[in-house]
This record gives sequence, C-alpha cells and structure tokens, in this order.
Amino acid sequence: METPEGIALRLRAAGMMPRAAAWAIDFALRLAVLWMFGIVLALLGDLGVAVYLIVLFSLFWLYPVLFEVLHDGQTPGKRAVGLRVVNANGTPVGWVPSIARNLMRTVDMLPLFYGFGLVAGLVDRNSRRFGDMVAGTLVVHVDNPHGHSTAPNVPAVQPPLLLPAAEQGAIVAFAERARQLTPERQQELANLLPQLTQARGAVAVQRLLGMASSFLGRQ
Amino acid sequence: MKQDAFQARHDAEWTALDQWLAKRTRPAAKQRGRDADGLFGDLEFPAMYRRVCQHLALAQRRGYSVLLIDRLQDLVHRGHLVLYRPPPPRWQAVIQFFGADFPRLVRRHGRAMGIAAVLFFGSFIGVIVAMQYRPEFAHSLFDASELARFEAMYDPANADARLGRESGSDVKMFGYYILNNVSIGFRTIAAGFFACIGSVYVLLFNGLFLGGVAGHLTAIGYGGPFWRFVAGHSAPELLAIVISGGAGLQLGMALIAPGRRSRGRAFVEAGNDMAKLALGIFGMLVFAAFVEAFWSSIGWMPDPVKFGVGGLLWVLILLWLWRGGRGAAHAA
Repeated sequence: METPEGIALRLRAAGMMPRAAAWAIDFALRLAVLWMFGIVLALLGDLGVAVYLIVLFSLFWLYPVLFEVLHDGQTPGKRAVGLRVVNANGTPVGWVPSIARNLMRTVDMLPLFYGFGLVAGLVDRNSRRFGDMVAGTLVVHVDNPHGHSTAPNVPAVQPPLLLPAAEQGAIVAFAERARQLTPERQQELANLLPQLTQARGAVAVQRLLGMASSFLGRQ
Repeated sequence: MKQDAFQARHDAEWTALDQWLAKRTRPAAKQRGRDADGLFGDLEFPAMYRRVCQHLALAQRRGYSVLLIDRLQDLVHRGHLVLYRPPPPRWQAVIQFFGADFPRLVRRHGRAMGIAAVLFFGSFIGVIVAMQYRPEFAHSLFDASELARFEAMYDPANADARLGRESGSDVKMFGYYILNNVSIGFRTIAAGFFACIGSVYVLLFNGLFLGGVAGHLTAIGYGGPFWRFVAGHSAPELLAIVISGGAGLQLGMALIAPGRRSRGRAFVEAGNDMAKLALGIFGMLVFAAFVEAFWSSIGWMPDPVKFGVGGLLWVLILLWLWRGGRGAAHAA
C-alpha cells in the first residue's frame, strides 16, 4: 500500500482466528446488553416490547456500523483483540464502506457459522470476507509486532555487511522462533549463511542471535 | 549516517508526534477546542507527519534496524489515519441525501430498478388477477391454517376491531415492523450478491405471497378491510422492496457483467451504491413502519380518506423518485 507521501505502508491483515475471537466478544456483549434491556423492558408492557425490538434491530444492524465509524474502526470486540477496520488504502473507514461491509454480513453468514465468509477469508490473500471485498476494506492488526520481541536476549553483534529490511526481518524471525527449533535444526539453518556469520555450527547460531539483538536495537 | 546518529537527531520529533497522536486519537469530546498542550499546534501536524514519512523512507533505504522501521511505520500509519480521515458528517448532508442524492441514485440504476419492479409487481398483480378467476389457486400457494389466519385478520364481521392485527398495540407493532421489514429489505439487497439469484427469488416470493393474500381476500369478499389496511403504507413499503431488489440486482451484475472493470473494482463501486441505497431504503421503511403502525390500523376512518391518503403517498413518492435532485447543481 502506497500513501500519497510516496511511502510504502505495510498493513498487516488479520487472519480469521483473531477476527472470529473479536466477533465472539462482540456477540457476547450484545447478548448481555439485550438481556439487560429485556429485564428492564419486560416491566413496561407493550412500549417495552417496542423498545426491545428496536434495540434488537440496532444491536444487529447498527452496532457494528456505529462503532466502526465513530470509534476508529473498532468495535469493542475488535478493540479487545487489537484489530481495526480500515479502507484498502489505509484511511479510516467511513459510513458508506462500513454500511456495505456490515450489510454483506448476511451473505458471509451463510450457509451457517459464517461459512462463506470463512472460506473467502481463507482463500483471499488479505483474508477479506465478501463484505470486505464489496466495501473495499481490510481488517488489520493495530499493535506493533516487534514492540515486545520474544527473541532471546543475547549481547548484540554488529553484522559485517548492511542488510536490507526484509533480510533483517528474516533474521529477527529466526531468533524469535529459535526456541521452538532443535539445536541441530538451528545450526542447519545458520549454516546456510556462511558469509554473514563467518562461522559454522553453534557459533554461527550465536552470531545470528546477536545480530537479531542488534537489529532490535538492544545493546 | 549511522543509525544511532539518525535516531539521536530525530528522536525528539518522533516522540512529539507520538504524543500528539496519542492526544488526538482520544474520544472527540475530550480533545475539542484546544490544541494538544505543550506539543505543537494542529496546523503543524501535516508538515510534521510528512517529515516522519521522509524519515521512514530514509530508514528503509539505508537499511536501518527492523525495530526503528517498525516504530516509524507505526507513527506513519497512525498519522495517516488522522490526516486522511473523512470529514465529520453534517446534518445538511442528510437532507441533501434524501432530497437529491438518493432519487438520483435510484434513477441511475433505472434498469435494475425497472427489472425489479417488473418481477415484483408482475407476479403481484398476476396472482391477484389469476385468483379472481381461479380462487382455488390459493390452496396451492398457502396451506389451510395460513388461509384461516389471513381470513381471521381481515374478517369484515368484526370490522370495528383494529385493522390488520391479530393482537398487539400500535407501538408494539411499530417495533416489530422496524425489526422485521428493515431486516427483510437489507437481506434482499445482500442476497443479490450471488449473481442476482437471491434478489430475484425474494422479489418473486414477496410478489407471489403478497399478491396471493390480496387476491384470496378479495376473491372471498374480505377485500374491504384488507385494502383499507394496506392502502396507507403500501407505497413506501412496496417501493422500498422494489428498490432493495434493484440494489441487489445491480450488485449481482457486478459479478455477472463487470463491464470494462475488474470484478474487484466493479464490486467496490456496486457496494458503494448498495450502501447508499440501503440508507435510503432504511428511511423509507421506517416511514412505512410508522404509517403502518399508527395510521393504517385506524378502523373508523372513512374509505375516501384512507384511499386518498394511500394514493397521495404513491403519487408523492413516485414524484420524489422521479424528480428529486433534478435541476439542482450536481454536488459531486
């Protein structure tokens, strides 16, 4: 995605799992609100029933639209999970796209349990459901991925050559995943970069982890 | 330049922008009026933002660390969200929309609306006429218990009761009509996504169903109370069904025949129109629900008033859709 300033801005599209979690939170919240209204309005007779039905309508159709437009593209559920709805060009979502994507929920819900939406989201590269395609919107992660990196804290090592961001990212990702790999596999991977580490085996692994630390700005 | 020097030189600017953004993206009520204190003025924000954009470009070009790039990315994205947010909606825009934009939009999709109208009114009137000659036709559309229910609702024998109601007060039915009718309208629109099939189905189904009820009640001589009840709200409600069908059809056409656009592009454009049409339909159906709940059910009103008002609404709404927004300068 390129901004008018000529900057390539990377938006990290959210997958179906966090979105389902956000939806579940929203659903529980709406159910709770409806339940509370139900108790109070049951005392009011016919007027109460009317208000109850209108509340039900609002929770079903208006709740996502109002929150997305007035609350930085976040329903309470999305806020809790750390997601945000934005236009495909990264700008905040407006009334018309928000209405479009939430109208299309009706389609994505079919045949049951958001079946079509789930399939569309798994197939699409940016995991958009049909509603997102029609509205031209994306659901993105809000938080910064490397803010609290899980890479092991080892003394920084300056790399012998300057690496582009994508390659730095690959090394950081290696460091973050190192704990899940066996030592043999770590060494096997580190041995692929003899020029960079100028070593083999366990030493190479240590150097790569050190470089990851330096890329992450640690001392 | 070494990364450390770069960071040391610009860190203050980044922190300032970060704090400004944190202040500015709080709920609107708290931030109104005063500039974010102690930082920089709002007018300086665009310049500040573009500087950080340049820093990000430099950092990417020079291969600085991932962490720094991520931090700048985050700043730029948040700034982007603030700088390019849509203007706050104005009340004038609502009047402009219902007065001009919505009728114009309906006319622009005149062909889809026309097809929807033919499908709906064709089946509706066709069934009514057919039932006058072959009343037994009703039994192939509805089963006996349904027919009995319709007949009970519009039995002229208890004409002093409220019209068109099994039970329930006006206000309760208002809530019910809002929930039910608007949901049906919205579903009709979205159903068009699957290559128009859903919308065609809903239009035909509603045409046959409503036409079947009307035709049957007229054929057995219960027509009086029925037409008295529906006359008032028929115009906004039936036209809203037709327009939602049309909105669904134009969405489906984006899948079938996107023309000289990619399907993705066609979908976004059709989705845009769909959402606007849905807003208009929402307005029409709320109005219809209001009329249906509080006007249509009044039993004692003499026939000329009932049918006069119903006819007047048809004329006014059609006139609105036909002439609305014409002549006024096109506000892009």
